[in-house]
Amino acid sequence: MGKLQLITRGILKENPTFALILGMCPTLGVTSTAINGMGMGVATMAVLILSNMAISLIKNLIPSKVRIPAFIVVIASFVTIIGMLIKAYLPALDASLGVFIPLIVVNCIILGRAEAFASKNGVFDSALDGVGIGLGFTLSLTVIGAVREVLGSGAIFGFSFAADVMPLLFILAPGGFLVLGYLMVVFNKIAKR
Amino acid sequence: MKSSLKNMVLVLFTITAVSALLVGLVDNITKDTIAATELNAKNIAKFEVLNAAESEAVVGEEQVFAIGDFEVVVSTVVSKSDSNIVKGYAVEAPSITRSGYGGRIKLMVGFVEEAGNVTISGVKVLAQSETPGLGANMTQPGNALEKSILKKNPAALTFEVKKKNGSFDSLTGSTISSRAYVNAVETAYAGYLKAKGELDETKVVGADSASGATNSKRAAESEVVEEVAEDVDTASGATTTEECQMENNVTEEEK
Repeated sequence: MGKLQLITRGILKENPTFALILGMCPTLGVTSTAINGMGMGVATMAVLILSNMAISLIKNLIPSKVRIPAFIVVIASFVTIIGMLIKAYLPALDASLGVFIPLIVVNCIILGRAEAFASKNGVFDSALDGVGIGLGFTLSLTVIGAVREVLGSGAIFGFSFAADVMPLLFILAPGGFLVLGYLMVVFNKIAKR
Repeated sequence: MKSSLKNMVLVLFTITAVSALLVGLVDNITKDTIAATELNAKNIAKFEVLNAAESEAVVGEEQVFAIGDFEVVVSTVVSKSDSNIVKGYAVEAPSITRSGYGGRIKLMVGFVEEAGNVTISGVKVLAQSETPGLGANMTQPGNALEKSILKKNPAALTFEVKKKNGSFDSLTGSTISSRAYVNAVETAYAGYLKAKGELDETKVVGADSASGATNSKRAAESEVVEEVAEDVDTASGATTTEECQMENNVTEEEK
């Protein structure tokens, strides 16, 4: 498989949100605005790249029967450490992404990629896989967030154009499910061609 | 790698031990910096709500009052060159009797005195977990809530949303969040009065909830349930379709 394909695959064929249906909890939770979706996506991508590399490095040392708990411990400590470092040295970044970082621990995409890809491939390929899947996740969350923001609060990336006349439903959880469902249909229709 | 009891135990133990060690180590290194950054952010918020430049002002005396089960911190911000010149009072206060949609909210409210007249100079949301795009809009500068009380004398305000004949414009579609905000401003004002020794104790906000945490929590919960019924008819005029209101109701009742 080509190196470029490793990246594009995460955006289209193995898009985590629309094709693999992974990480639904953060997807529905944070996408009420486009900027929030993007923030979650970027934070996840950063963790995914690093955790993929770490797992790939230690994959030969872990007995296969205990690999899942081992991966979880590695990922959770990783995220905690990154969260603390950002909080201490990059307060501006913490203000915009800080709320998402603890959520990433429970994001099954991270564990999913560790298990499905990083535990079987080299460090460089695993990093590229992290970039691809991370980009796919970021794009999907941004699109869902943008659609919900436009329909629900008449704004896009915080710029309001039709405030107070749009149905609030799309900002709330049920609207999240509706938007996600319809976007999934559209995405798979396009991707199948 | 093949699994045997010995290598499984050994590897898992090593991984957890190394991870715990690393997390502990990083925590030790970053602990002080994090505390300092948080304190700094809070101090900046104090200057911000008083419209005082960071270079000219310092935080002077800090008084902590208990209102009900909650703490209200009143900080006096004074001029850097002369500590007798009071720039204003920054009050950190939570919402007490009314909870927001996602829990209590916490505000920093600035009170400035000019020629015997007290005005609200600024409000900053310190903590909230309201719905992004709805109640969370209270964090945006120049939102309806903030705008309706800025530069006004708090003594002349009625601490309710406009719908209930109060002085506060509420955020679109976020009555519950707006009421929590109003309540927090009211608490802050009570804290300010207390610091000045002018508080009429009979009018203390949350005095009825002073009996204990569980009581006040229960009061807040029952209030939310009550408000759901009201919100159904009032929301329809503004934005929501009938279907949406029902959805709204379901999610709110689940809270």
